[in-house]
Amino acid sequence: MDSSSLTCKRLTLITVLAVLIQVFGLALFVLGFFPVKPALSGFSGVESFYPPGGDSAEFQNTTNLSDSQLKYLYQELSLVPPLFDRLILMVIDGLPAEFVLGKDGEPPAKDFKDAMPYTQSLLSKGRAIGYHAKAAPPTVTMPRLKAMVSGAVGGFLDVAFNFNTQALLDDNIIVQFLKVGWKIVMHGDETWLKLFPGMFSRHDGVSSFFVKDTVQVDQNVSRHLVDELSRADWSFLILHYLGLDHVGHLGGRNSVLMAPKLGEMDEVIKTIDLNSLPTNNNDQGRTLLLVVSDHGMTESGNHGGSSFEETDSLALFIGPTTFGSTSGTPNKANQADLASTLSLLFGVPIPKNNVGMLMAETFKSLTVDQQLRLLELNSWQLLRLLEAQLPGLVCENFLCDDFRDDGSERTSSLEETFCCLYMKAADLHRSWKSGEEKSCHSILVAYHNFLRTASEWLSHRATDKPVGQLIFGVAAILVSCLILLSLLFLLAKQVFSEQNQQFSSANNDPSWWHLDEIFILVVIIIVVISMGSSSLVEEEQYIWHFMTSSLYLLSLRKVMQQNTSNYIQICSIFVILISGRFLRGWHQGGVNWTHLPDISKWLEQAGSSYIKLFQLVSGNLLISISLVSLLWSRKLKKNFVTVVALMHLFPGLLVLHYITKYQDVAFSTGSYDATLMAQLIYAVLGFCSTSIVGSVPWWIPLQNRTLSVHQRKAWGLCFRDSAYVIGLSYVYYWSLLQLMLQQPINSMPVLFLFLQVLASIWHSSGSNQHLRQWVEVAALYYMGMAGHFGLGNTNTLATIDVAGAFVGVLNHSTILSGILMFIITYASPMLYLLSMVMYSSASGFVISQKGDFGSLLRRTLGFPCLIPLGLNSILLIAYTIVLLLMRNHLFVWSVFSPKFLYVCATTVCVCLGVSVVASTVIYICLVLAYREKLQTHTD
Amino acid sequence: MDKKKNDPIGGNTILLWVSPLKALILHLICGLGLGLAFWVANHIYSLDLITNYSSHFVSQVFLAPVLILLYSHLRHDRNQCSYVKAVGRGLLALPAGAVVNALGATILGAPVGFEYFPKTLSWSLLMSLLTFVPAACVFGSSWTDWHRVFARTKANESTDCMICLPAHGAVIGAWFGAWPMPLDWESPWQEWPICVTYGAVAGYLVGLVASLGCIIFRNRQQHLKEE
Repeated sequence: MDSSSLTCKRLTLITVLAVLIQVFGLALFVLGFFPVKPALSGFSGVESFYPPGGDSAEFQNTTNLSDSQLKYLYQELSLVPPLFDRLILMVIDGLPAEFVLGKDGEPPAKDFKDAMPYTQSLLSKGRAIGYHAKAAPPTVTMPRLKAMVSGAVGGFLDVAFNFNTQALLDDNIIVQFLKVGWKIVMHGDETWLKLFPGMFSRHDGVSSFFVKDTVQVDQNVSRHLVDELSRADWSFLILHYLGLDHVGHLGGRNSVLMAPKLGEMDEVIKTIDLNSLPTNNNDQGRTLLLVVSDHGMTESGNHGGSSFEETDSLALFIGPTTFGSTSGTPNKANQADLASTLSLLFGVPIPKNNVGMLMAETFKSLTVDQQLRLLELNSWQLLRLLEAQLPGLVCENFLCDDFRDDGSERTSSLEETFCCLYMKAADLHRSWKSGEEKSCHSILVAYHNFLRTASEWLSHRATDKPVGQLIFGVAAILVSCLILLSLLFLLAKQVFSEQNQQFSSANNDPSWWHLDEIFILVVIIIVVISMGSSSLVEEEQYIWHFMTSSLYLLSLRKVMQQNTSNYIQICSIFVILISGRFLRGWHQGGVNWTHLPDISKWLEQAGSSYIKLFQLVSGNLLISISLVSLLWSRKLKKNFVTVVALMHLFPGLLVLHYITKYQDVAFSTGSYDATLMAQLIYAVLGFCSTSIVGSVPWWIPLQNRTLSVHQRKAWGLCFRDSAYVIGLSYVYYWSLLQLMLQQPINSMPVLFLFLQVLASIWHSSGSNQHLRQWVEVAALYYMGMAGHFGLGNTNTLATIDVAGAFVGVLNHSTILSGILMFIITYASPMLYLLSMVMYSSASGFVISQKGDFGSLLRRTLGFPCLIPLGLNSILLIAYTIVLLLMRNHLFVWSVFSPKFLYVCATTVCVCLGVSVVASTVIYICLVLAYREKLQTHTD
Repeated sequence: MDKKKNDPIGGNTILLWVSPLKALILHLICGLGLGLAFWVANHIYSLDLITNYSSHFVSQVFLAPVLILLYSHLRHDRNQCSYVKAVGRGLLALPAGAVVNALGATILGAPVGFEYFPKTLSWSLLMSLLTFVPAACVFGSSWTDWHRVFARTKANESTDCMICLPAHGAVIGAWFGAWPMPLDWESPWQEWPICVTYGAVAGYLVGLVASLGCIIFRNRQQHLKEE
């Protein structure tokens, strides 16, 4: 070995370094691409009516005030009487503002204009004010509703990390209205029920599950309309119509159903207006009808991205009388502005995290004093949020004299700009109050300047991406990928040259690439290419299954090429192929073809007793197969095997007991016994696996020590046996854990995965030449990915199994549930990574190895660790670049970003798995070396 | 696929490589037979491949006799095997090959179910005609020949070429033909097994051209050697 060769130590160090660089770069990229903005907790209260910076202790305690007392307190403090008393919020899902207001000064298309005669007449009479309310991406319903009611623009991770609860916990106007004693009624999309559980006095949720239904879904809302309008017990009525969005999904913007649907919505507006709004002067109070849409739609009717067509949503205020002097031209605003506008219109505190500014045109009927007061309240709220996000913002520190005159001529810091804008407005306002300043116009302009600057900065902070950080992150990931690949290349070259020395008379020409080796590269190239297409990302399971089975068909062909047929290998390939096909058929998966029949749907139809039967059968088979492969395949000492077999049997029986007795009740009631049992099983599994890993290398008998020539061989045999036993235990315990945690329907797939692992180990140990170790390791990795989708996972966040994440968790703990969720989701990749320990025992060359300890480790551990890391790094860098290129794509939030989260989690999974494998094998080697030394000493 | 073919037998292969003219005729018959079968199904029986795939048996009914009769003519063991016997084993191989092809397709993810059964059957009969039947007519049950042609992709003579290359072409073409299936273009031809059939037929035709080229090339090489 020359000096430039890779020693074991150097290899390990460089690999660890590369992995660290990768994790670091990934973290940078994720934080840059999905900015996490600090949200203020708690709810706005009385302090909203005082300037920021005041001592919170001086505000009177409002907790023991009743609803109506609080309402009057707010009115008193705000100095402005509320403009309206009741609110009807009508959400028309997916309606582009263009349809009602037109675009760029042009009136809307004639069809649409004619379809909504009543609304158009309201607009022309000045009783309605229309806004193009720009929505922030992702333009899908739930985040948009959140933005409307809380005024905050959430990042993507807010959506992703909220899987244990979808309820909106931040401050929002719904909670503010509830605090002042409003009764809220909701009819329509059940997203509202998920966001605000238990907050509505009456509700009728409709599901947007059947996109093909464009009629019934709206009738289910409208049927309550007349009844609700005649009642006086509510103050806030929410109507959410989904039909228009469904029309868009079916036929796009120009669907023949569009104009009739708009006509239907016009009828609803007319009904509400005629029934409710003119009843101004009776006891029900003044009612505001607010027609909004959550997002727009593209020409083809889709939404989710950030194009103008999708973000162009509507906000239409319809009041009982005209809104003062309104301009006929449609106004522009942000969707997030709705929260502050509504709060101010109804005299409640603005939600804490609101980034919007009030929509000035709706307040034109107020006096100038009142308008200024509302602008002041909005400014105070934004200033509070700015102070929370910019810790250095203390306005007394800045001298803004030259700012007064020439705006922002000199370069000033962000803090200074905000402070000066605010101070200017506040000073002008103060002098207006004392009567010095006469022109109200300059004050209005000053306030608007501050509000607009602050609002823009705050909302962009949530969506802007720091380019430098992203590039740095990508560069780090790229560097680590290159390091890993070059390590892999060097290792392959070295192993290859050593093999050439060893088998100089090898019958198959080693310089010739076999078909299956080329195919391994083809797979990775195809997967990388497919990442660029959103539909192939959605249907990724087809690629993995197709490529993996093609790979094994090719290796079947390769086995057939040998003149002497190797039946074990042929059988194991068939086992792999057939169980792979069952896994593929178990869940239809993907997005577009989920409605097609599959085995899991068929079983669910057949009834739960069949599912239970399958579960028990697969549990029993799992236990017996592991026992058989433990007893049968190795010639170990009898009492040793008995102890290990008992350690396999006991947790297996416990899991079977859990399945029969507790699994049904565990999900429904969370009964104490089931939790206790699950915890017991966790403990037993943890204890058994650690004790097997810890003790097997010490126990395993060293044989044949009399012949010094065979010493190495005996040592190698020992290594093989212990790696086999430990690897089998890893794989077996992991499958048992999955059997317990996965949905009952997935029990059979877990068995199939276990079978596939065992069969590929047979396949590797059956072949007599191990020239192409990397092919086998890569095939294991690919099978892990295929199995990942076989368990029903997809690239959307919707398929993450949340129910299983609470098995055995007594108190709600996000960390524990997160770990369980990770274990469930990454069952298959982890299983295959753990099987690398077993695979290292199947490697035939260990026996013939004559080198030292380090080179043996390198040979057994090099490929099983480097290949998964290398393949994963290729996928990671490729997908990161794809995501960067696709950042303005239509589906970036709905398809590409969730997939990226999966890729990140896969990286974590691979790193964890590889470190477990590496530490286990190193531990075995160390113990065996120590024992050998001890023995030669005593001899 | 396998470009590094070296002929170990050398001079003894003169008789095994047919003349370019004969090779051209043989290949033309295969290609035209395939075209004719689809034309008949399409125009005379007015069967559209996309809408009624499962009744496309008709094309196989027309294709089968052409291929079986042609390849039985090229049978290997002329002394022990009569023409009729070769035709018979071709007919026998048709369902057997269909089973193997259907299994292979299912392993790779072809849908299973009663409504897919006629389609899968029809497709696998076509694949069997393109891959198994010619080999069965020519080689019979000679394991070494089958092994040589299908496992090692090695052609020692012109009939090997004529069996090996189109069959591999059909399989590889079908493999590539499956790619558009998961895409969401919502075209009717993305259904199983329409695009796979297109792929297989295209691959088969490419294989035919390749085998023709291969035979002509080998022939010329031998002539050069003789001179």
